[in-house]
Amino acid sequence: MIPLDRYPKEITLRDDARAILRPMLPEDAEGLWNFLRQLPEIDKSHFHEDVDRREVVERWAASLDYDAVLPILAIRGDRVLGSVTLFRNRTGWKQRIGIIRILIAPDHRHLGLGTAMIREIRHLGEKLSLNYLLAEVIEEQQAAVRALERMGFEKAAVYRKFVNDRNGRLHDLAVLLHPLSGLGK
Amino acid sequence: MNCPICGWEHFPAAGRGRTAPAKGGSCPYKGTEYAELRAGHDQIYFGRWRGMDANSIDLRRAYHQLGRLLRDIAVALEKEDVPAARLDLGKAFDALRGAGPGVEGPEALRHLDHALSYAHRVIGDLLHEKGLAPHSPADFAGWFDAAEVPFREDW
Repeated sequence: MIPLDRYPKEITLRDDARAILRPMLPEDAEGLWNFLRQLPEIDKSHFHEDVDRREVVERWAASLDYDAVLPILAIRGDRVLGSVTLFRNRTGWKQRIGIIRILIAPDHRHLGLGTAMIREIRHLGEKLSLNYLLAEVIEEQQAAVRALERMGFEKAAVYRKFVNDRNGRLHDLAVLLHPLSGLGK
Repeated sequence: MNCPICGWEHFPAAGRGRTAPAKGGSCPYKGTEYAELRAGHDQIYFGRWRGMDANSIDLRRAYHQLGRLLRDIAVALEKEDVPAARLDLGKAFDALRGAGPGVEGPEALRHLDHALSYAHRVIGDLLHEKGLAPHSPADFAGWFDAAEVPFREDW
């Protein structure tokens, strides 16, 4: 059972500005589309689909299934400032592993939003009795890597010249793991 | 003398070369959520045990201060449903035990450092649950004898 009763949840950023965390809803398609358009190319490389196509985002919004993919958005007004998504397998050998993806609007970085979203996903991972959270980050995104490490993620592997961005350039991929309480149960 | 607001000592004994900003002597943590945990954390964070000239008394003091801080955190956590923080608090106690009461040497220092980092993360979790920004010791550095404000970076 996903503990969604804590939402909407207000958080405070380093500049004392407030934001609301809550799961994505079908009506967030427009906000998410605007958010994704602001992201640098390197961030868009994470996606398996072309997020420059509006119909892709609209399809996501129309087919939300929190048990498999739980996107938590950080919102102020009607603007999406960031997102953290928890991907889970319902069955199989990875059903106790949550894969996470965190994206922050460029003008809201270094305000503690990324860290707040990592805290949030750790909480959800614990509540869902997962064994591990797994994050894949392009290693040159050092602020993200350091934030994850400060929050208890450990670098499990770095694959050199492993993933390509949308221009075909190769990058090192860091895989970070966060052990959770489920591991000891 | 311990501060009546946060319960920790802001004004160490004269002759230690420490000064506090002229703010009428009031507690810098007054009015903040979890004031006693923030103050306790910073007392250790900016403590002499981390300096190049730290002696065994400084290390033992830090060990006991950390023990007190972790116990205070445990009490605060009892009222909250934050399992990730409980996990980290357990790790903090493990690290403190790793240092041991006779705390000596670089390995013990490393354990103390880890215990303090875990404690900081738990305080951050508690504040996050209340919708507040994480605690930043750098914001209070002026109240301590901090030769340098440690590196701060948020994402």
